[in-house]
Amino acid sequence: MRRRLGWIPWLAMGAGIVLAPTVLPPAMATEILIYAIVAVAANLLIGYAGLFTFGQAAFFAVGGYSAGYLLAHHQVSLPAALLTGIVAGGVSAAIIGAICIRRVGIYFIMLTFAFNQMIYYIAYSWHSVTGGEDGMAGIVRPPVELGALGRISLDRPLAFYALVAVVFLVCFAAMVRVVDSPLGKIVIAARENSRRVASIGYNVQRAQVLMFTISGVFTGVAGALYGMLYWIMPIDAVHWMNSGYIVFMVLIGGTSSLFGPVIGTAIFIALQDIFSTFWARWPLLFGVVVVAVVLFLQGGVIELVERASALLARRRLGREEAQAGVTAPAGAVVEAAGDAPPAPRE
Amino acid sequence: MRMSVGLLFAQLLNGVAIGMLYALLAFGLSIIKGLLNIPNFAHGALFAVGAYVSYAVARASGSFWLGLIAAPVVVGLVGLVIERVGVRRLYGSAYLFQLLLLFGVALILQEVIIIIWGPVGQSMSPPAALAGAVDIGITLFPRYLAFTTLASALIISLVWLLIQKTRYGAVIRAGIEKKEMVSALGIDVDRLFTAAFGLGAALAGLAGAFAVPVVGATTAMGADMLAIAFVVVVLGGLGSIYGAILAGLLVGIVQSLAALWVPAASTVMIYVAMVLVLWIRPQGLLGER
Repeated sequence: MRRRLGWIPWLAMGAGIVLAPTVLPPAMATEILIYAIVAVAANLLIGYAGLFTFGQAAFFAVGGYSAGYLLAHHQVSLPAALLTGIVAGGVSAAIIGAICIRRVGIYFIMLTFAFNQMIYYIAYSWHSVTGGEDGMAGIVRPPVELGALGRISLDRPLAFYALVAVVFLVCFAAMVRVVDSPLGKIVIAARENSRRVASIGYNVQRAQVLMFTISGVFTGVAGALYGMLYWIMPIDAVHWMNSGYIVFMVLIGGTSSLFGPVIGTAIFIALQDIFSTFWARWPLLFGVVVVAVVLFLQGGVIELVERASALLARRRLGREEAQAGVTAPAGAVVEAAGDAPPAPRE
Repeated sequence: MRMSVGLLFAQLLNGVAIGMLYALLAFGLSIIKGLLNIPNFAHGALFAVGAYVSYAVARASGSFWLGLIAAPVVVGLVGLVIERVGVRRLYGSAYLFQLLLLFGVALILQEVIIIIWGPVGQSMSPPAALAGAVDIGITLFPRYLAFTTLASALIISLVWLLIQKTRYGAVIRAGIEKKEMVSALGIDVDRLFTAAFGLGAALAGLAGAFAVPVVGATTAMGADMLAIAFVVVVLGGLGSIYGAILAGLLVGIVQSLAALWVPAASTVMIYVAMVLVLWIRPQGLLGER
């Protein structure tokens, strides 16, 4: 039954992607899509696997620096650059994930954060490669090679936006598949009761590390795109605050679906844009917003989830009520679509 | 490469001094973690606030000692407020909300520091009484580092006595063990939590004050220290608040000695050490399982 609304969020997202560059500056629209990949990938861990990662910026940066280095110094092709982001993000996430997964709960969070800082130190002090505090400059956008049809330059903002949109959609569809895959089912089940999953014969830790790696793959490719977007990979990209921002994007969007973090990312980037235009110390305002949302609007967030789940429950009860003309409150349909877990949670 | 014994010894002592600061900082984090069961993401920012408060008070009053007293008091109060106004309301909600709240608080504190003191770091020399170095035979040891080592050890011992030997400490230990039971016995757990957060914050503030004459006060120090404190607590071990002390020393020594061989990567060596320890003892140094 949950399938019935299945196409609505897709349609909304598609419309959003088409309309975004017409109402927003193209760079901002592009950044939203890039970070949306990151946030959705983070939600694979936070929402689905129940692994509260606070170090996603590490994989973002490793992907961005690796691809950026090849783009700046070795004129590699676009597919090669994206592949580098994928491999770098995946490998770093596999290694770090395998270590962090040895501890659970709070310790897991602290470890992901600590490794984020370790990558930061490396990026900061390895000046000859990463550019240290100044960032890695000289990153180029290689053209899209179409063989006999010629090539498309990505130097125009809209052309680059189109590329990012395609990558985003491919990544998003792939992540939907991951959630629906046996691996997705295992980590979701392990979130609810890892002992029971282990007792029926699954290797929970291995599945979780694999999920961590997959998350790193998408985060890494997003990092590669980010470097190309601004022609530079700034050190801020690997700062722990960036990891915090990513968690915030996931949370305000809602963790129970893959669509939620996309909305959360758009809200965050818009907020950042508004704040940063009138004050250099915008993180202060942002901190206030974070605290306010968590303290005072949390009831709203929970209420949203509750209303959505009540709506779902009502549907499950059968058609009688629906036929009796119980109309959903305005907006609730979209919320339900946004919050409906792709996989049943019972 | 030949390394003189004197230099090695000097770095070792240096490591012990830095390690005691880490221990002090992580001990506070460990107490908060033990009782409230949250990773205090604002701990590094509280450390930085402690550093800047001690700097400002010492500058204004001309007395290093006044700054040293003001830092833990002010930061402890900030901690009480954070718990009372913020964390308190979230005990019933999802884990990630508490985490995000503390992240927001850390952002606010960090930006407030920049607004008040500017983005450029500040430095301060140790007081005249602690300037210079003492000759301990094999090498010279800066007086100020000797002071922070002993003072940190003293403070840690006092808090240890408080927790192990007093009735109040018994309540804290019981709270770490089983909150529900403590609450059922008629003890006000809420007040206990507030006090624990305040105490943990005060320790962070004091560590910050100690650090100023060594590394100065910089806006980045909060994030740096937060990462190290997290590593120390993870290394210290599951369910052990004292493991942080041992792990703090270990991390300080590793970092100092690594600076002799690979100066650029001495901070990264902390993580290498952490991975090695977790490999051999997954539960951490003093962890029980």
